[in-house]
Amino acid sequence: MQSPETILELQHIYKSFDDFVALDNINIKLDQGKFYSFLGPSGSGKTTVLRIVAGLILADRGKVLFDGQDISKLPAEKRKVNTVFQNYALFPHLNVFDNVAFGLRLKRMPQDELQERVMQALKTIQLNGYEDRMISELSGGQQQRVAIARAIVNEPRLLLLDESLSALDQKLRQQMQYELRSLQQRLGITFLFVTHDQEEALAMSDEIIVMNEGRIQQSGTPVDIYDEPINHFVANFIGESNIVPGTMIRDYEVEFVGKRFECADAGMRDHEPVEVVLRPEDITVTTPNQGKLVVSVDSQLFRGDHFEITSHDEDGNEWLIHATNSIEDRDKVGLSFSPNALHVMRFGEKEADFDRRLSEYEGDES
Amino acid sequence: MTEKHTWIGKLYLAFAFAILYMPIFYLVFYSFNSGKNMSGFKGFTWSHYQTLFADSRLIIIVLQTFLVAILSALIATIVGSLGALGIYQVRRRHTRNLLLSLNNILMVSPDVIIGASFLILFTAMGIALGFGSVLASHIAFSIPIVVLLVLPRLQEMDYAMIDAARDLGANSWQILSRVILPFILPSVFSGYFMAFTYSLDDFAVTFFVTGNGFATLSVEIYSRARQGINLEINALSALMFLFSIILIVGYYLLNQYTQSRRQRRQKDGVYLK
Ligand SMILES: Nc1ncnc2c1ncn2[C@@H]1O[C@H](COP(=O)(O)OP(=O)(O)OP(=O)(O)O)[C@@H](O)[C@H]1O
Ligand SMILES: [Mg+2]
Repeated sequence: MQSPETILELQHIYKSFDDFVALDNINIKLDQGKFYSFLGPSGSGKTTVLRIVAGLILADRGKVLFDGQDISKLPAEKRKVNTVFQNYALFPHLNVFDNVAFGLRLKRMPQDELQERVMQALKTIQLNGYEDRMISELSGGQQQRVAIARAIVNEPRLLLLDESLSALDQKLRQQMQYELRSLQQRLGITFLFVTHDQEEALAMSDEIIVMNEGRIQQSGTPVDIYDEPINHFVANFIGESNIVPGTMIRDYEVEFVGKRFECADAGMRDHEPVEVVLRPEDITVTTPNQGKLVVSVDSQLFRGDHFEITSHDEDGNEWLIHATNSIEDRDKVGLSFSPNALHVMRFGEKEADFDRRLSEYEGDES
Repeated sequence: MTEKHTWIGKLYLAFAFAILYMPIFYLVFYSFNSGKNMSGFKGFTWSHYQTLFADSRLIIIVLQTFLVAILSALIATIVGSLGALGIYQVRRRHTRNLLLSLNNILMVSPDVIIGASFLILFTAMGIALGFGSVLASHIAFSIPIVVLLVLPRLQEMDYAMIDAARDLGANSWQILSRVILPFILPSVFSGYFMAFTYSLDDFAVTFFVTGNGFATLSVEIYSRARQGINLEINALSALMFLFSIILIVGYYLLNQYTQSRRQRRQKDGVYLK
């Protein structure tokens, strides 16, 4: 099963701290040269996975394969992986240059090549001219960038980044995203990038892995994850959404808020209880007569590029809408959406089953 | 703080220092006395210094004292730093606290007891008293001091730094030499100086374990003072005092130098080489 381009594979990884189960059967496969984002709430186990990949802690059970070789027991210093740590972990007794040069010196790189590589890395993170500063004399964002430089300068095959842009302002952050992405493509490094920030993940990644409570919920391309979340957690965590309980009447027909709607999903039992996701930007506002749902508006917030409208229907279900214009008559408006905009989720469906069902009905979708 | 308060504070400080330094200056002052003792200043003379430098036995004892101090501090620093590393690495909290307490007990137990127990140990083991026994006991009582100075610095160290070093490919030896040692070096130095001064100072322990053929300065001064006050001892004390001043000033200048070098480096900005 090992395809030649797979660089890293985690098989059935378990990890507990005392009684607390931090990782519960983690399976991941990373392809060479791709950009992966690890997305999940605080405490979901992202850092723990990275530490196991880096070799800084050992899994209780399971295997870590690198290039098809089992490295589960290989110490960190022998692994061809570098990490940008969440808390930077810079060396306070060394200046910026020596921090960045640390890995290269251990490899006994000749002085002039080392000099060039370090300067190049510092330029990438826009800190050239700071070589002689001590770490304590840098701002938080600058320290974070030094941590990035210290890892990328080694040009590892696999780079682990733990929330490595979190301390930067919006503008610098975007520049760094761009730099990292181009570096990754130029050198063909595989990135495993942990972030809280779903927009960042959606924008940068080839693939997103969503984690919660020590389990992988779903992995896939940003579009797949956004359009077809597997469950309530993913739908809620990635982007904003309206999630309502419903019943699958039959293939391509779902019932919620007491009404039946045409939809694009199939392959479930008839009359199976489900949840239905409707993204706020997929809803269009019309007259009550033309709308599939009728709601009254509670509040409208101007968000720059859209209005965020909260409303409720007769049954008290809340509906979040992103509209380009504000609504004049707040009392009764119609909401309309296409069958494709509805996404139906089964309760407790496994990712493998979910993927299989989706591919089975793919021809009928969209 | 009001002006008046700072004024009182300054006066208090001046008073305290005066009391602390008075006996020393008194001693130094009489080292230049041409009279026989410290009961009245008869006139200025260097003669006590001349007898001092002519007293080859005393010179040898001074050298021996320094040799013991330098060597014992060196060995104690090495052993103590490694010991601190060992205690730091102990994962279990109970064991670590136990080790630390054992260390502290040695710190606080009276010198007389330590000295007596060493004497019993050495005689029981049939070890001849002399340079070796003094050196060994000085090393032994200096080690806890070094541990006590180095361990807090280690605990200050962010363990993530070690993870980072491993991640960048450093093996255990490289972690020690490139990350841990540079980080704890200041405390290792202060450990050395502490051990050095403790050894130089020590009377009680040394008194028990010196044999007939060997003496350190404190023991020698003690035995001479028992035979009556001799102004040669004053001259020696004056020289020792001068030596400590030189040490302190040297330490200060060294500090100044490293600091200004660091500031200069920051100002220059660009890495030149
Ligand atoms: N050394 C440890 N001892 C005990 N518990 C730990 C340890 N390391 C992590 N944990 C626990 O494991 C869980 C996962 O931690 P982890 O650091 O992987 O979270 P994370 O997803 O990186 O969170 P964040 O986004 O806040 O960084 C947390 O509940 C944490 O308390
Ligand atoms: Mg984390």
